[in-house]
Amino acid sequence: MTEGKIVEWLKKPGDPVARGESVLVVESDKADMDVEAFQEGFLAAVLMPAGESAPVGETIGLIVETEAEIAAAQASAPSSSAAAVAAPPKPPAAATPPVKPAAEPAPAATTVEASVAAPPAAAPVAAMSNATTTANGRLVATPRAKKLAKQLGVALETLRGSGPHGRIQAEDVERASGQPVSVPRVSEGSSAYAPAGAAVTVNGAAAGASPSATPLGQAFGSPGETVAFNTLQQAVIRNMAASLTVPCFHVGYTISTDRFDAFYKQVKAKGVTMTALLAKAVAVVLARHPQVNAAHSEAGMAYPASVNVAVAVAMDDGGLLTPVLANADKTDLYSLSRSWADLVARSRTKQLKPAEYSTGTFTLSNLGMYGVDRFDAILPPGTGAILAVAASRPCVVAGDDGSISVKRQMQVNLTADHRVIYGTHGAAFLKDLAALIETNPESLAL
Amino acid sequence: MNSRLDAILFDPTSIVPFELAWGWQRVLQARLLANPSGPEALLLVQHPDCYTLGRGASEQHLRFDPAAPPAPLFRIDRGGEVTHHLPGQLVAYPVLNLSRHGADLHLYLRELEGAVLDVLAVLGLAGERIEGLTGVWLEGQKVAAFGVGARRWISQHGLALNVNCDLRGFGAIAPCGLINRPVGRLCDWIPGLLPEQVQPLLQRALASRFGLTLRSPTLAEQLWR
Repeated sequence: MTEGKIVEWLKKPGDPVARGESVLVVESDKADMDVEAFQEGFLAAVLMPAGESAPVGETIGLIVETEAEIAAAQASAPSSSAAAVAAPPKPPAAATPPVKPAAEPAPAATTVEASVAAPPAAAPVAAMSNATTTANGRLVATPRAKKLAKQLGVALETLRGSGPHGRIQAEDVERASGQPVSVPRVSEGSSAYAPAGAAVTVNGAAAGASPSATPLGQAFGSPGETVAFNTLQQAVIRNMAASLTVPCFHVGYTISTDRFDAFYKQVKAKGVTMTALLAKAVAVVLARHPQVNAAHSEAGMAYPASVNVAVAVAMDDGGLLTPVLANADKTDLYSLSRSWADLVARSRTKQLKPAEYSTGTFTLSNLGMYGVDRFDAILPPGTGAILAVAASRPCVVAGDDGSISVKRQMQVNLTADHRVIYGTHGAAFLKDLAALIETNPESLAL
Repeated sequence: MNSRLDAILFDPTSIVPFELAWGWQRVLQARLLANPSGPEALLLVQHPDCYTLGRGASEQHLRFDPAAPPAPLFRIDRGGEVTHHLPGQLVAYPVLNLSRHGADLHLYLRELEGAVLDVLAVLGLAGERIEGLTGVWLEGQKVAAFGVGARRWISQHGLALNVNCDLRGFGAIAPCGLINRPVGRLCDWIPGLLPEQVQPLLQRALASRFGLTLRSPTLAEQLWR
């Protein structure tokens, strides 16, 4: 589903809404879905009236926590519909004015700015958004942000929200707590095993050298709690359970990466990400090993028409997405990097179309940025193989001629469906992948 | 690949007024909302003459005055336009937690259509889908209509399959808002076919499509006594 028609608003602006109460009905084809409030509060504004269609992810209305905030939200929010529609004579002015007046008089706003100015990461992005948050000294925060704030002991009042209309997001809390924001909301590991840069946060923290305290691992609940699975988590459960019906085997390879790392340093400046580079390398080799790109189906071995590399991405809320770099073997490295940045940005806001996360023919899973030296991946349904990529680390290596040297090496581990892919196929694929990465990574830029 | 899911079958032997069955669905939906991991349910019924309108449906498709309908008229919480229920038409209302079934309303509609296509296949009839027109069609005639609603992925409403019902009542409406698309019934292809012969097929097809193991309600789960 990419868009839905709003059939009916069950609440009017100003109406109180309880958590779990239906606020509106959305129709798509012959199916109606009640949309419920996730939080208690008041419907402040309807930005998309009944009868209109909205793309998935569009803001269609605003819910505030207290009755007092309704006016502020109405004043600051509908610059898109009310202001723009009502005032056609003076077109360009509409966007900015509702923001400023709301932010200035609020006494809370100054303290907010002062306390947040210190951490380097807090960018002035939120300027226009914190109007609703602070206008009345009240807070709008996502449930996860509230929970995190409690866990980490962060005072929400001191934060400036970076979410829509100043809502405090989980990242804002993490940032304020001095948590290494290195664990992004979508932790996909744009740096595979990060020769120098990003991995430092992880290593540093682990060694205890970091100024911040030992970071907390992510958890979906608090101690003593049992938390119901959300839809995304249930999808993961189904997919993982489905893999139990597939007879898989694993085959691993150790690959030297000095030359690959050096090449990455060169192209990084041009916007190439490690994810794109790895995906490209895998795709080029897959194109020569169609058996490893194939999958089991009822009708027989299915050979996809293209090489689509999916990359596993852990979502903050417990889902696991696999955004797809389609035709990765035929797409240039720079376009792949741009596509990847776009896919990650949109997966954060859950705006991926099904085709963008369900059409992978081969999956890449990278935990290198955490420094792991090896791991097994579980095969996603409908595909034949997945490659687990671990960290690249300096190793003492004995050469064939008896020489001893230090090289950076990483382990990769292929999980494959043995109904389609046999040991020799997997081994030959890995041998070629290793040869490409070790001896000819520069060809990936061609 | 689907593990078998526990589901309660309600198949009353007598004809059930629409509003009663609607009330039952809401009870079943409320139970699943309160306990999302609880048993799902399938309600298989026939209704007396009535018309129902989806929540966003247009009254333009009525060829009668909504204030004085020829049979009871209900505006209900499902998607889709107007439809007609009457004896001789099998109605199936699966109350499922769709998050166990793909969490996709369109997929759900396709699966419901698939179940009806399975039934027709058993009867030796080649039904078909028409892209963009949710329904099951036999030689250009619509034999099954669909309309569903969901709250927190708990479904209600479902499908209506015309077996040997009187088709004249459809003349009072443009079913599903479609004009020049005739409504059909299975007994015109298989003379003498009765709803009680089709019901077990539909029950089996739905159970198999959604991986349900159907059982009778326990005393506590009864909707009626």
